[in-house]
Amino acid sequence: MKRSVSQGQFSRGQFSRSSQRSRLSAEAITIAISSLIVAALIGLILLVWITKDDRPPILSISTPEAVRQEQGYYYVPFTVKNDGGGTAESVQVIGELRINGQVEEQGEQQIDFLSSREEEEGAFVFSRNPALGDLVLRIASYKLP
Amino acid sequence: MKRMSFPSRLEWNDEIQDIIRAAAGGFLFGIPLLYTMEVWWIGSYTEPPLMLGILATTFVIVFLLNHTDGFRQIRPDRPTQAMTDSIEAIAISTICATFILTLLREITSTTPLDEALGKIVLEGVPFALGVALARSILQGDRFESSQATEHQEAASEPSGHPPSASKPSHYNATLADIGATLIGTIIIAFNIAPTDEVPMLVAAASPPWLIAIVLASLLISYSIVFLAGFTAQQQRIQQRGPFQHPITETLVSYLISLLAAALMLWFFHRLSFADPWTSWLENTVILGLPATIGGAAGRLAV
Repeated sequence: MKRSVSQGQFSRGQFSRSSQRSRLSAEAITIAISSLIVAALIGLILLVWITKDDRPPILSISTPEAVRQEQGYYYVPFTVKNDGGGTAESVQVIGELRINGQVEEQGEQQIDFLSSREEEEGAFVFSRNPALGDLVLRIASYKLP
Repeated sequence: MKRMSFPSRLEWNDEIQDIIRAAAGGFLFGIPLLYTMEVWWIGSYTEPPLMLGILATTFVIVFLLNHTDGFRQIRPDRPTQAMTDSIEAIAISTICATFILTLLREITSTTPLDEALGKIVLEGVPFALGVALARSILQGDRFESSQATEHQEAASEPSGHPPSASKPSHYNATLADIGATLIGTIIIAFNIAPTDEVPMLVAAASPPWLIAIVLASLLISYSIVFLAGFTAQQQRIQQRGPFQHPITETLVSYLISLLAAALMLWFFHRLSFADPWTSWLENTVILGLPATIGGAAGRLAV
């Protein structure tokens, strides 16, 4: 065991000695690559810092897809987007179906986190056809993390 | 002009083994925190100045750890060595955390940059600590074992008696491995099985990503046991028995980890026999990643 240890150290020593002469050591290359990775990470964080939007959350809701009917129920897909700067927590989304001015059906959904420029998708499910009345989708509330 | 020569293959082998050892230590230490959704959430609203602060703090801690531990076989007692090793530790932990976060669909192409960076920086902390502790993380006697694995070529010389001779029988070695895999699997995955993270990750994983998770589980398990140069690696490669070939052993222990993961999910009422087989499969594969990493650690430690 002892002998193999000294051999190991010897061959290591050879590496470092020869690296002083003319050569690039493997360690030097990995250090260079690692430094690049760390520099890129710090650079990206700085980029986010500089371009950071100081505005509070600006939330919007849209229905990009058509209502689909499955087994007698109407699925209304929605997309919630945060166009502001800060992250919104517990975003409350409410969908109401009004027929003849009366709220006939109501759904509620909570989105845990919505950071800046992030989108989340979901759907409300109604038993009546939304085309027969007024469909109101809105963001009701959020809190700051 | 001086002629520049590139490192020899032997030198690269040493360096790559050091890096694999570092990554293996990172995975062992970092995986439990990766399966914690609070960290993903905190990461998604961490401010850039705080991210830089976390990076700087991690660097200082890793630098101090590198003075005494580190991931290289040779003790980095010089401050410059500890410094460069710390930069490498941060880089390796960043790559590993990004890899796993992408694999688990916590970072996708639609994730905003600031959110992705926050998650990577936060999840990178335990990985970096694992990297800095890699050498001693699974070694009983730090000096003896680091010297024992110093050069595998030396260990495989015919002069040394084969380590398998110390084993009473081939089947005992296999049984010991199965037991060790189970112990390691249970230690790591028992903490994760009852949590909500498993179904959350299942919801985000599509079949191609599940296959990628299976492949990553096998690769990480193989790297920890057979490539990272931890204590008993040479002994493990030379072990004889029905399941002792490195690839067979990796596959068999992965299956054992999957089985244990499925049982744990059932034990915690996360899965029932009424559930479709697809949810058994998906949940087991997701929990199988930490389970098999634990199993790999178990086979080295026991």
